[in-house]
Amino acid sequence: MNPRQLTFMTAILFAVAIGMSLYVWQLRRHEVRNPPVATAQHVAPPVSGPMEKVTLWVAHDDLGALRAQSVSIPLTAGRQERTQELMHALLDLYQDKNSPHPVASGAEIHDVYLVDPGLVVIDVSQAFADGQPSGVLAEELTVASMIQTLSVNTPGLMRAKILVDGQERETLAGHADLTGFYDVSQVGELAKQLAAQ
Amino acid sequence: MPRSKGASYRRTARFLTGPLFLLLLSPLAFGQNPPAVAPAANQPPASTQAAPALRTLVVMIDPAHGGSDLGAALNQAIPEKDVTLAIARRFREQLGARGIRAVLLRDSDASLSTDQRAQIVNAAHPALYVAIHATSQGNGMRIYTAMLPASGDNSGPFVDWETAQSSALSRSRWVQDQVAAAIQRTGFPLRSLIAPLRPLNNVTVPAFAVEIAPTTGTVLQLASVDYQEMVTAALANSIAAIRGKLEGAP
Repeated sequence: MNPRQLTFMTAILFAVAIGMSLYVWQLRRHEVRNPPVATAQHVAPPVSGPMEKVTLWVAHDDLGALRAQSVSIPLTAGRQERTQELMHALLDLYQDKNSPHPVASGAEIHDVYLVDPGLVVIDVSQAFADGQPSGVLAEELTVASMIQTLSVNTPGLMRAKILVDGQERETLAGHADLTGFYDVSQVGELAKQLAAQ
Repeated sequence: MPRSKGASYRRTARFLTGPLFLLLLSPLAFGQNPPAVAPAANQPPASTQAAPALRTLVVMIDPAHGGSDLGAALNQAIPEKDVTLAIARRFREQLGARGIRAVLLRDSDASLSTDQRAQIVNAAHPALYVAIHATSQGNGMRIYTAMLPASGDNSGPFVDWETAQSSALSRSRWVQDQVAAAIQRTGFPLRSLIAPLRPLNNVTVPAFAVEIAPTTGTVLQLASVDYQEMVTAALANSIAAIRGKLEGAP
């Protein structure tokens, strides 16, 4: 390569570098002006299982009551995946604009873990807990709705634990205790009382 | 030189006196729940000095939240902790007017954890513990007892902290039923439920929590003197109606 060619190549590379810098600068400016819109809906991988009828225990704030509601959702064969899909179905219902028990924008159920024998751990997001209306009845409706939905559709559950962002928290929103394990049979008793309203 | 028989007995007696004395004192040292011993049917009731058959009725009222724990924001200006304290003070007056001694677990804007509250209650050992909550949601009053299995066995000198209420739970549920029935007879909207609410699980005496909501849909009603008087009078009447049973509680 003679000196003339070398100078020519250097000039081209220099021009490309300047062009790319300008492009990155433009992208950055566009990002600042138009931040990505946070979606209230959780993002879950598509479920390929057959549709199955399940019973969701749905909280109704206006009645201060739980109501059993049958819905058909796609469920896989795996026991753990089924619990996750149940919780996502319940959350979808609560995030609907006509929700009987609205949850905060950005509320998520991160994961549901089945730990044998009979223990289920529900990990909710901080937005879920922080957006929960504070009150004994309001909070126990949320807790009972989640645990009762899991227990009636997942045989063998005995205890449940609720975490917030993977950490133990004292209460859901100032009242419902989250430090211990919930006895599923006691939650069933509570669900009966809440359904009787 | 061989020891005399008398000296040997004295030494043995000194050796045994300490442990025996400790053994006799242990029910007092280990708190308020010595194992219950049923008196023989043909024996007269023991005198109140030796073993009190009736206890003075003291109701401990716990205004929930306080200090940095505001509780629910009932509206932008009224935190739950202020309403619970105001209601608790009126409830104390109402019980006092009916000849029932009531003490407040907090009578200022103090911060107390639920464990500290339970410790205070268990040390004072009142005949009844009542926690006061307030909410803007719903209508009327809800009465809660601990969410524990009723059949739990948790008696004796040492009890499991997480289920300390289980030995008193049947009495708590009985009080809940009596109070609910008495208030419902007045036509006031009321529900009876169990709840995962501390410190109900951790107290060793009959206990319930009451959550008071407005009946008119407006939160300001919770702060009104008339409404507070009406609610606390209904509660005090219902407790006065069962004071004989509460005084006789073990």
